[in-house]
Amino acid sequence: MSVGRPLWLRAVLRLERAIGEPIEAATRSDAYFDVVAHATRAHARTIGAAEEISRRCLHLLNLPAGTDVRRVREQLARMERRMAALSDEIADLEHGRDAAAG
Amino acid sequence: MAPPLHPAHLIARVNRDVERSLLRARNGLRYVAGTHRPKLGATPKDVVWRRGRAQLWRYRRGPAVRYAPPVVIVHSLVSRSYILDLRPGSSMVEYLVNAGLDVFMLDWGVPDELDADNGLATYVDGYLPRALAAVRRETGCRDVTLAGYCLGGLMAALYAAGRDDAAVRNLVLMATPIDFDEMGSMVAALREGRLSAEDLIDTTGNVPAEALYSGFYMLAPTTEIAQKATLLENLWNDQFVEGFQAMAQWSRDHVPFPGAAFREVAELLVRENALMSGRIRVGDRVVDLGRVRGEVLVAMAERDNVVPSGATEPALAIVGDPARRHALRLPGGHVTFGTGRSAFKHTMPRMTEWITAHSDRLDTEQTPWRSDASSPPTARRSRASSTASRTPTARS
Repeated sequence: MSVGRPLWLRAVLRLERAIGEPIEAATRSDAYFDVVAHATRAHARTIGAAEEISRRCLHLLNLPAGTDVRRVREQLARMERRMAALSDEIADLEHGRDAAAG
Repeated sequence: MAPPLHPAHLIARVNRDVERSLLRARNGLRYVAGTHRPKLGATPKDVVWRRGRAQLWRYRRGPAVRYAPPVVIVHSLVSRSYILDLRPGSSMVEYLVNAGLDVFMLDWGVPDELDADNGLATYVDGYLPRALAAVRRETGCRDVTLAGYCLGGLMAALYAAGRDDAAVRNLVLMATPIDFDEMGSMVAALREGRLSAEDLIDTTGNVPAEALYSGFYMLAPTTEIAQKATLLENLWNDQFVEGFQAMAQWSRDHVPFPGAAFREVAELLVRENALMSGRIRVGDRVVDLGRVRGEVLVAMAERDNVVPSGATEPALAIVGDPARRHALRLPGGHVTFGTGRSAFKHTMPRMTEWITAHSDRLDTEQTPWRSDASSPPTARRSRASSTASRTPTARS
Protein backbone atom coordinates (compact mmCIF):
# COMPACT_ATOMS: atom_id res chain seq x y z
CA MET A 1 0.00 0.00 0.00
CA SER A 2 1.66 3.19 -1.14
CA VAL A 3 -0.72 5.68 0.57
CA GLY A 4 1.13 7.62 3.28
CA ARG A 5 4.57 6.65 2.04
CA PRO A 6 6.88 9.54 1.20
CA LEU A 7 7.90 10.08 -2.38
CA TRP A 8 11.51 9.01 -1.85
CA LEU A 9 10.43 5.68 -0.36
CA ARG A 10 8.03 5.01 -3.20
CA ALA A 11 10.84 5.75 -5.65
CA VAL A 12 13.22 3.37 -3.86
CA LEU A 13 10.61 0.61 -3.77
CA ARG A 14 9.88 1.02 -7.48
CA LEU A 15 13.58 1.02 -8.28
CA GLU A 16 14.11 -2.08 -6.16
CA ARG A 17 11.39 -3.91 -8.08
CA ALA A 18 12.78 -2.69 -11.40
CA ILE A 19 16.19 -4.14 -10.53
CA GLY A 20 14.92 -7.05 -8.45
CA GLU A 21 12.59 -8.68 -10.93
CA PRO A 22 15.22 -9.42 -13.61
CA ILE A 23 17.70 -10.53 -10.93
CA GLU A 24 15.13 -12.88 -9.42
CA ALA A 25 14.36 -14.27 -12.87
CA ALA A 26 18.09 -14.89 -13.33
CA THR A 27 18.53 -16.57 -9.94
CA ARG A 28 15.69 -18.93 -10.72
CA SER A 29 17.03 -19.92 -14.11
CA ASP A 30 18.66 -23.23 -15.07
CA ALA A 31 21.89 -21.42 -15.92
CA TYR A 32 22.14 -19.97 -12.41
CA PHE A 33 21.82 -23.39 -10.78
CA ASP A 34 24.38 -24.82 -13.22
CA VAL A 35 26.80 -22.08 -12.13
CA VAL A 36 26.00 -22.73 -8.46
CA ALA A 37 26.62 -26.46 -8.91
CA HIS A 38 29.96 -25.89 -10.68
CA ALA A 39 31.05 -23.31 -8.12
CA THR A 40 30.09 -25.58 -5.21
CA ARG A 41 31.98 -28.52 -6.70
CA ALA A 42 35.03 -26.37 -7.44
CA HIS A 43 34.95 -25.04 -3.88
CA ALA A 44 34.74 -28.56 -2.45
CA ARG A 45 37.65 -29.71 -4.64
CA THR A 46 39.77 -26.74 -3.53
CA ILE A 47 39.01 -27.35 0.15
CA GLY A 48 39.73 -31.06 -0.30
CA ALA A 49 43.09 -30.36 -1.95
CA ALA A 50 44.06 -27.86 0.76
CA GLU A 51 43.06 -30.30 3.47
CA GLU A 52 45.10 -33.06 1.84
CA ILE A 53 48.22 -30.87 1.76
CA SER A 54 47.80 -29.73 5.38
CA ARG A 55 47.09 -33.31 6.45
CA ARG A 56 50.34 -34.54 4.89
CA CYS A 57 52.32 -31.71 6.47
CA LEU A 58 50.82 -32.32 9.91
CA HIS A 59 51.34 -36.07 9.64
CA LEU A 60 55.01 -35.47 8.79
CA LEU A 61 55.24 -33.75 12.18
CA ASN A 62 53.26 -36.60 13.76
CA LEU A 63 50.37 -34.24 14.52
CA PRO A 64 46.68 -34.98 13.96
CA ALA A 65 44.96 -33.10 11.16
CA GLY A 66 41.44 -31.73 11.08
CA THR A 67 40.32 -34.74 9.04
CA ASP A 68 41.59 -37.07 11.77
CA VAL A 69 39.66 -35.16 14.41
CA ARG A 70 36.58 -35.28 12.20
CA ARG A 71 36.92 -39.04 11.81
CA VAL A 72 37.23 -39.49 15.58
CA ARG A 73 34.15 -37.32 16.10
CA GLU A 74 32.22 -39.42 13.56
CA GLN A 75 33.21 -42.60 15.42
CA LEU A 76 32.18 -41.03 18.70
CA ALA A 77 28.87 -40.03 17.17
CA ARG A 78 28.27 -43.63 16.08
CA MET A 79 29.05 -44.85 19.60
CA GLU A 80 26.81 -42.20 21.10
CA ARG A 81 23.94 -43.21 18.83
CA ARG A 82 24.50 -46.89 19.61
CA MET A 83 24.46 -46.16 23.33
CA ALA A 84 21.27 -44.12 22.98
CA ALA A 85 19.66 -46.99 21.05
CA LEU A 86 20.72 -49.46 23.76
CA SER A 87 19.38 -47.26 26.54
CA ASP A 88 16.09 -46.95 24.64
CA GLU A 89 15.91 -50.73 24.29
CA ILE A 90 16.53 -51.12 28.02
CA ALA A 91 13.91 -48.47 28.83
CA ASP A 92 11.39 -50.19 26.53
CA LEU A 93 12.11 -53.56 28.12
CA GLU A 94 11.70 -52.11 31.62
CA HIS A 95 8.49 -50.39 30.56
CA GLY A 96 7.17 -53.70 29.17
CA ARG A 97 8.17 -55.54 32.36
CA ASP A 98 6.49 -52.91 34.56
CA ALA A 99 3.35 -53.05 32.44
CA ALA A 100 3.27 -56.85 32.69
CA ALA A 101 3.81 -56.69 36.47
CA GLY A 102 1.29 -53.90 37.06
CA MET B 1 -4.64 20.60 -4.96
CA ALA B 2 -4.13 20.08 -1.24
CA PRO B 3 -5.98 22.53 1.05
CA PRO B 4 -3.77 25.14 2.78
CA LEU B 5 -2.48 24.06 6.18
CA HIS B 6 -3.70 25.82 9.28
CA PRO B 7 -0.73 27.38 11.17
CA ALA B 8 -1.48 25.25 14.24
CA HIS B 9 -1.40 22.12 12.12
CA LEU B 10 1.81 23.27 10.48
CA ILE B 11 3.48 23.73 13.88
CA ALA B 12 2.24 20.34 15.05
CA ARG B 13 3.63 18.74 11.91
CA VAL B 14 7.00 20.43 12.32
CA ASN B 15 7.09 19.33 15.95
CA ARG B 16 6.27 15.78 14.94
CA ASP B 17 8.97 15.73 12.27
CA VAL B 18 11.59 17.13 14.64
CA GLU B 19 10.63 14.59 17.27
CA ARG B 20 10.79 11.77 14.74
CA SER B 21 14.17 12.97 13.49
CA LEU B 22 15.55 12.79 17.02
CA LEU B 23 14.08 9.33 17.50
CA ARG B 24 15.49 8.27 14.13
CA ALA B 25 18.96 9.45 15.16
CA ARG B 26 18.73 7.63 18.50
CA ASN B 27 17.39 4.39 17.04
CA GLY B 28 19.81 4.59 14.12
CA LEU B 29 22.76 4.75 16.49
CA ARG B 30 21.36 1.86 18.52
CA TYR B 31 20.79 -0.17 15.35
CA VAL B 32 24.30 0.42 14.00
CA ALA B 33 25.90 -0.23 17.41
CA GLY B 34 23.86 -3.41 17.77
CA THR B 35 22.65 -2.49 21.24
CA HIS B 36 19.02 -2.84 22.33
CA ARG B 37 18.49 -6.03 20.39
CA PRO B 38 15.09 -7.52 21.18
CA LYS B 39 14.95 -10.59 23.35
CA LEU B 40 13.80 -13.49 21.22
CA GLY B 41 11.94 -16.62 22.28
CA ALA B 42 11.15 -14.93 25.58
CA THR B 43 7.98 -16.72 26.71
CA PRO B 44 8.98 -18.46 29.97
CA LYS B 45 9.44 -22.17 29.58
CA ASP B 46 10.85 -25.29 31.22
CA VAL B 47 12.81 -28.01 29.50
CA VAL B 48 10.82 -31.15 30.20
CA TRP B 49 12.67 -33.64 28.00
CA ARG B 50 15.88 -33.70 26.03
CA ARG B 51 17.73 -36.10 23.86
CA GLY B 52 20.82 -35.34 21.82
CA ARG B 53 20.32 -31.80 20.55
CA ALA B 54 16.52 -32.02 20.75
CA GLN B 55 14.64 -30.42 23.61
CA LEU B 56 11.00 -30.33 24.55
CA TRP B 57 9.89 -27.08 26.16
CA ARG B 58 6.75 -26.47 28.13
CA TYR B 59 5.61 -22.85 28.23
CA ARG B 60 4.68 -21.55 31.66
CA ARG B 61 3.03 -18.19 31.23
CA GLY B 62 -0.67 -17.76 30.89
CA PRO B 63 -3.63 -17.16 33.11
CA ALA B 64 -4.66 -20.79 33.31
CA VAL B 65 -4.95 -23.90 31.20
CA ARG B 66 -8.53 -24.02 30.00
CA TYR B 67 -8.28 -26.60 27.23
CA ALA B 68 -7.00 -30.11 26.72
CA PRO B 69 -5.27 -31.84 25.04
CA PRO B 70 -1.95 -29.99 25.11
CA VAL B 71 -0.58 -28.49 21.91
CA VAL B 72 2.81 -29.80 20.84
CA ILE B 73 4.53 -27.74 18.17
CA VAL B 74 7.05 -29.60 16.05
CA HIS B 75 9.49 -27.23 14.46
CA SER B 76 11.18 -27.46 11.08
CA LEU B 77 14.68 -28.86 10.60
CA VAL B 78 16.08 -25.86 8.73
CA SER B 79 15.25 -22.81 10.83
CA ARG B 80 15.20 -21.67 14.44
CA SER B 81 12.07 -22.31 16.43
CA TYR B 82 11.92 -18.84 17.95
CA ILE B 83 10.11 -17.64 14.83
CA LEU B 84 7.00 -18.98 16.57
CA ASP B 85 7.89 -17.14 19.77
CA LEU B 86 9.60 -14.13 18.25
CA ARG B 87 9.11 -11.49 20.93
CA PRO B 88 6.55 -10.56 23.56
CA GLY B 89 3.43 -9.25 21.90
CA SER B 90 4.38 -10.86 18.60
CA SER B 91 4.43 -14.55 19.36
CA MET B 92 2.29 -17.44 18.22
CA VAL B 93 3.29 -19.39 21.34
CA GLU B 94 2.30 -16.52 23.61
CA TYR B 95 -1.03 -16.21 21.79
CA LEU B 96 -1.82 -19.89 22.25
CA VAL B 97 -0.78 -19.81 25.92
CA ASN B 98 -2.90 -16.75 26.58
CA ALA B 99 -5.85 -18.50 24.92
CA GLY B 100 -5.66 -21.12 27.67
CA LEU B 101 -3.78 -23.86 25.85
CA ASP B 102 -0.99 -25.92 27.39
CA VAL B 103 1.79 -25.42 24.83
CA PHE B 104 4.92 -27.48 24.23
CA MET B 105 7.59 -26.97 21.59
CA LEU B 106 9.85 -29.66 20.21
CA ASP B 107 13.03 -27.88 19.17
CA TRP B 108 15.64 -29.90 17.26
CA GLY B 109 18.58 -27.76 18.31
CA VAL B 110 21.61 -27.08 16.12
CA PRO B 111 22.88 -30.27 14.48
CA ASP B 112 26.58 -30.86 13.96
CA GLU B 113 28.59 -33.76 12.58
CA LEU B 114 27.29 -35.99 15.38
CA ASP B 115 23.84 -35.66 13.79
CA ALA B 116 24.91 -36.20 10.19
CA ASP B 117 23.42 -39.72 10.14
CA ASN B 118 20.02 -38.58 11.40
CA GLY B 119 17.44 -39.57 8.83
CA LEU B 120 13.71 -38.86 8.83
CA ALA B 121 13.21 -42.06 10.84
CA THR B 122 15.50 -40.72 13.57
CA TYR B 123 13.06 -37.87 14.13
CA VAL B 124 9.79 -39.63 13.36
CA ASP B 125 10.47 -42.92 15.17
CA GLY B 126 13.23 -41.93 17.58
CA TYR B 127 12.61 -38.46 18.97
CA LEU B 128 8.91 -37.78 18.43
CA PRO B 129 7.43 -40.79 20.26
CA ARG B 130 9.68 -40.20 23.26
CA ALA B 131 8.98 -36.49 23.35
CA LEU B 132 5.23 -37.18 23.21
CA ALA B 133 5.57 -39.78 25.96
CA ALA B 134 7.15 -37.00 28.03
CA VAL B 135 4.15 -34.74 27.24
CA ARG B 136 1.80 -37.47 28.44
CA ARG B 137 3.82 -37.90 31.63
CA GLU B 138 3.83 -34.15 32.25
CA THR B 139 0.17 -33.48 31.61
CA GLY B 140 -1.61 -36.73 32.27
CA CYS B 141 -3.39 -36.29 28.93
CA ARG B 142 -3.56 -39.34 26.71
CA ASP B 143 -3.64 -37.51 23.39
CA VAL B 144 -2.24 -34.29 21.94
CA THR B 145 -2.82 -31.64 19.32
CA LEU B 146 0.27 -31.98 17.15
CA ALA B 147 1.14 -28.84 15.18
CA GLY B 148 4.03 -28.96 12.72
CA TYR B 149 5.58 -25.99 10.98
CA CYS B 150 7.09 -26.46 7.52
CA LEU B 151 9.09 -29.72 7.51
CA GLY B 152 8.04 -30.18 11.14
CA GLY B 153 4.51 -30.67 9.80
CA LEU B 154 5.74 -33.44 7.58
CA MET B 155 7.40 -35.20 10.51
CA ALA B 156 4.27 -34.75 12.61
CA ALA B 157 2.13 -36.22 9.81
CA LEU B 158 4.51 -39.17 9.33
CA TYR B 159 4.42 -39.83 13.07
CA ALA B 160 0.62 -39.57 13.28
CA ALA B 161 0.15 -41.82 10.24
CA GLY B 162 2.91 -44.29 10.91
CA ARG B 163 2.16 -45.55 14.39
CA ASP B 164 -0.85 -47.38 15.72
CA ASP B 165 -0.17 -45.96 19.17
CA ALA B 166 0.01 -42.33 17.98
CA ALA B 167 -2.55 -40.56 20.15
CA VAL B 168 -2.97 -37.47 17.98
CA ARG B 169 -6.40 -35.94 18.33
CA ASN B 170 -5.68 -33.00 16.04
CA LEU B 171 -2.94 -32.59 13.47
CA VAL B 172 -2.17 -29.04 12.35
CA LEU B 173 0.02 -28.68 9.28
CA MET B 174 1.42 -25.16 8.94
CA ALA B 175 3.01 -24.45 5.54
CA THR B 176 3.87 -28.11 5.20
CA PRO B 177 5.13 -29.09 1.74
CA ILE B 178 3.53 -32.15 0.15
CA ASP B 179 3.87 -31.57 -3.59
CA PHE B 180 7.57 -30.87 -4.13
CA ASP B 181 6.99 -30.23 -7.85
CA GLU B 182 5.47 -26.92 -6.72
CA MET B 183 8.41 -25.90 -4.57
CA GLY B 184 10.19 -23.52 -6.88
CA SER B 185 13.46 -23.35 -8.74
CA MET B 186 15.88 -24.37 -5.99
CA VAL B 187 14.06 -27.65 -5.49
CA ALA B 188 13.64 -28.04 -9.25
CA ALA B 189 17.42 -27.92 -9.62
CA LEU B 190 17.69 -30.82 -7.19
CA ARG B 191 14.91 -32.71 -8.93
CA GLU B 192 16.43 -32.34 -12.38
CA GLY B 193 19.86 -33.37 -11.14
CA ARG B 194 21.58 -30.07 -11.95
CA LEU B 195 22.36 -29.89 -8.26
CA SER B 196 22.87 -33.01 -6.19
CA ALA B 197 22.49 -33.52 -2.45
CA GLU B 198 26.21 -34.28 -2.27
CA ASP B 199 27.03 -30.88 -3.77
CA LEU B 200 25.38 -29.21 -0.80
CA ILE B 201 26.59 -31.48 2.01
CA ASP B 202 29.89 -30.33 3.46
CA THR B 203 32.67 -32.11 5.35
CA THR B 204 30.58 -32.21 8.54
CA GLY B 205 28.12 -34.44 6.70
CA ASN B 206 25.39 -31.80 6.89
CA VAL B 207 24.11 -29.06 4.62
CA PRO B 208 25.67 -25.98 6.20
CA ALA B 209 23.45 -23.22 7.51
CA GLU B 210 25.10 -20.73 5.13
CA ALA B 211 24.03 -22.79 2.12
CA LEU B 212 20.44 -22.75 3.33
CA TYR B 213 20.62 -19.02 4.01
CA SER B 214 22.05 -18.36 0.54
CA GLY B 215 19.31 -20.46 -1.02
CA PHE B 216 16.56 -18.48 0.68
CA TYR B 217 18.34 -15.15 0.19
CA MET B 218 18.66 -15.68 -3.55
CA LEU B 219 14.90 -16.12 -3.87
CA ALA B 220 14.72 -12.30 -3.61
CA PRO B 221 18.22 -10.87 -3.33
CA THR B 222 17.26 -7.21 -3.67
CA THR B 223 14.44 -7.25 -1.15
CA GLU B 224 16.90 -6.13 1.49
CA ILE B 225 17.10 -2.73 -0.23
CA ALA B 226 13.35 -2.22 0.13
CA GLN B 227 13.44 -3.48 3.70
CA LYS B 228 16.26 -1.14 4.69
CA ALA B 229 14.52 1.83 3.03
CA THR B 230 11.31 0.99 4.91
CA LEU B 231 13.34 0.73 8.10
CA LEU B 232 14.84 4.15 7.49
CA GLU B 233 11.37 5.65 7.07
CA ASN B 234 10.13 3.99 10.26
CA LEU B 235 13.29 4.35 12.30
CA TRP B 236 11.50 6.66 14.72
CA ASN B 237 9.11 3.85 15.67
CA ASP B 238 10.62 1.68 18.45
CA GLN B 239 8.15 -1.13 17.85
CA PHE B 240 8.92 -1.23 14.14
CA VAL B 241 12.68 -1.25 14.72
CA GLU B 242 12.38 -4.02 17.29
CA GLY B 243 10.26 -6.14 14.95
CA PHE B 244 12.64 -5.48 12.08
CA GLN B 245 15.67 -6.52 14.13
CA ALA B 246 13.93 -9.66 15.35
CA MET B 247 12.95 -10.73 11.83
CA ALA B 248 16.36 -9.83 10.39
CA GLN B 249 18.06 -11.95 13.02
CA TRP B 250 15.77 -14.93 12.45
CA SER B 251 16.04 -14.80 8.67
CA ARG B 252 19.85 -15.06 8.94
CA ASP B 253 19.79 -17.66 11.67
CA HIS B 254 19.48 -21.02 9.95
CA VAL B 255 20.70 -24.34 11.26
CA PRO B 256 22.55 -27.08 9.37
CA PHE B 257 20.33 -29.71 7.77
CA PRO B 258 21.39 -33.22 8.85
CA GLY B 259 22.94 -34.91 5.83
CA ALA B 260 21.08 -38.23 5.97
CA ALA B 261 17.71 -36.49 6.28
CA PHE B 262 18.64 -34.15 3.42
CA ARG B 263 19.53 -37.09 1.16
CA GLU B 264 16.13 -38.64 1.92
CA VAL B 265 14.35 -35.37 1.23
CA ALA B 266 16.23 -34.97 -2.06
CA GLU B 267 15.60 -38.54 -3.19
CA LEU B 268 12.16 -39.40 -1.84
CA LEU B 269 10.41 -36.09 -1.59
CA VAL B 270 12.02 -34.09 -4.39
CA ARG B 271 13.01 -36.61 -7.09
CA GLU B 272 10.26 -39.16 -6.54
CA ASN B 273 7.75 -36.65 -5.15
CA ALA B 274 6.65 -39.62 -3.07
CA LEU B 275 4.28 -37.72 -0.80
CA MET B 276 1.93 -37.15 -3.71
CA SER B 277 1.31 -40.91 -3.81
CA GLY B 278 0.29 -40.67 -0.15
CA ARG B 279 2.82 -43.31 0.80
CA ILE B 280 6.44 -42.87 1.75
CA ARG B 281 9.21 -45.05 3.11
CA VAL B 282 10.38 -44.10 6.60
CA GLY B 283 13.12 -46.31 7.97
CA ASP B 284 12.16 -49.90 7.22
CA ARG B 285 8.45 -49.40 6.66
CA VAL B 286 6.03 -47.60 4.37
CA VAL B 287 3.81 -44.92 5.92
CA ASP B 288 0.40 -44.20 4.45
CA LEU B 289 -0.52 -40.58 5.16
CA GLY B 290 -4.21 -41.41 4.84
CA ARG B 291 -3.95 -43.32 8.12
CA VAL B 292 -3.90 -40.20 10.29
CA ARG B 293 -6.90 -40.73 12.54
CA GLY B 294 -7.52 -37.32 14.10
CA GLU B 295 -8.83 -34.04 12.71
CA VAL B 296 -6.42 -32.48 10.22
CA LEU B 297 -6.04 -28.74 9.67
CA VAL B 298 -4.05 -27.73 6.61
CA ALA B 299 -2.96 -24.12 7.05
CA MET B 300 -1.45 -22.46 4.01
CA ALA B 301 -0.32 -18.92 3.35
CA GLU B 302 -1.37 -17.52 0.00
CA ARG B 303 1.76 -15.38 -0.46
CA ASP B 304 4.23 -17.98 0.78
CA ASN B 305 7.22 -18.00 -1.57
CA VAL B 306 9.14 -20.64 0.43
CA VAL B 307 6.41 -23.27 0.55
CA PRO B 308 3.82 -22.06 -1.97
CA SER B 309 0.22 -22.91 -1.19
CA GLY B 310 0.25 -25.14 -4.28
CA ALA B 311 2.78 -27.36 -2.52
CA THR B 312 0.71 -27.49 0.70
CA GLU B 313 -2.80 -27.84 -0.68
CA PRO B 314 -2.51 -31.51 -1.77
CA ALA B 315 -2.44 -32.42 1.94
CA LEU B 316 -6.19 -31.83 1.78
CA ALA B 317 -6.49 -34.81 -0.54
CA ILE B 318 -3.86 -37.02 1.05
CA VAL B 319 -3.48 -36.63 4.81
CA GLY B 320 -6.02 -38.24 7.11
CA ASP B 321 -9.68 -39.13 6.78
CA PRO B 322 -11.39 -37.11 4.00
CA ALA B 323 -14.27 -36.30 6.36
CA ARG B 324 -11.92 -34.83 8.95
CA ARG B 325 -9.79 -32.54 6.78
CA HIS B 326 -10.05 -28.78 7.17
CA ALA B 327 -8.40 -25.98 5.21
CA LEU B 328 -7.22 -22.65 6.53
CA ARG B 329 -6.17 -20.20 3.83
CA LEU B 330 -4.21 -17.28 5.19
CA PRO B 331 -3.29 -14.06 3.42
CA GLY B 332 0.33 -13.79 4.64
CA GLY B 333 3.66 -15.29 3.68
CA HIS B 334 5.75 -18.12 5.13
CA VAL B 335 6.38 -16.32 8.42
CA THR B 336 2.73 -15.41 8.98
CA PHE B 337 2.63 -18.33 11.40
CA GLY B 338 5.02 -16.48 13.65
CA THR B 339 4.90 -12.76 13.22
CA GLY B 340 3.59 -9.79 11.31
CA ARG B 341 0.38 -7.84 11.09
CA SER B 342 -1.33 -10.59 9.11
CA ALA B 343 -0.35 -13.13 11.79
CA PHE B 344 -2.24 -11.17 14.45
CA LYS B 345 -5.17 -10.32 12.28
CA HIS B 346 -5.70 -13.71 10.66
CA THR B 347 -3.33 -16.54 11.46
CA MET B 348 -3.21 -16.58 15.23
CA PRO B 349 -6.92 -15.99 15.93
CA ARG B 350 -8.10 -18.44 13.28
CA MET B 351 -5.68 -21.19 14.19
CA THR B 352 -6.34 -20.76 17.91
CA GLU B 353 -10.08 -20.79 17.28
CA TRP B 354 -9.79 -24.04 15.33
CA ILE B 355 -7.61 -25.70 17.96
CA THR B 356 -9.81 -24.69 20.89
CA ALA B 357 -12.93 -25.74 18.99
CA HIS B 358 -11.38 -29.18 18.55
CA SER B 359 -10.26 -29.43 22.17
CA ASP B 360 -12.05 -30.17 25.44
CA ARG B 361 -12.85 -27.24 27.68
CA LEU B 362 -11.71 -28.05 31.19
CA ASP B 363 -14.46 -27.58 33.79
CA THR B 364 -11.86 -26.53 36.35
CA GLU B 365 -9.29 -24.03 35.19
CA GLN B 366 -5.81 -25.30 35.86
CA THR B 367 -2.96 -23.03 36.80
CA PRO B 368 -0.01 -24.21 34.75
CA TRP B 369 1.88 -26.53 37.00
CA ARG B 370 5.61 -26.70 37.13
CA SER B 371 7.31 -29.45 35.23
CA ASP B 372 8.75 -30.88 38.43
CA ALA B 373 5.31 -31.33 40.01
CA SER B 374 4.87 -34.85 41.27
CA SER B 375 1.57 -35.38 39.49
CA PRO B 376 -0.48 -33.24 37.16
CA PRO B 377 -3.89 -32.08 38.28
CA THR B 378 -6.89 -33.74 36.78
CA ALA B 379 -10.15 -32.19 35.76
CA ARG B 380 -13.41 -33.22 34.28
CA ARG B 381 -13.63 -32.22 30.68
CA SER B 382 -16.33 -31.17 28.34
CA ARG B 383 -16.25 -30.64 24.59
CA ALA B 384 -15.23 -27.06 23.84
CA SER B 385 -17.61 -26.51 21.03
CA SER B 386 -20.18 -28.91 19.76
CA THR B 387 -20.60 -26.77 16.66
CA ALA B 388 -16.97 -27.07 15.63
CA SER B 389 -16.65 -27.06 11.88
CA ARG B 390 -16.35 -30.51 10.43
CA THR B 391 -16.80 -29.28 6.89
CA PRO B 392 -14.16 -31.00 4.85
CA THR B 393 -11.81 -28.59 3.13
CA ALA B 394 -13.98 -25.67 4.17
CA ARG B 395 -12.53 -22.21 3.89
CA SER B 396 -12.30 -21.38 7.58
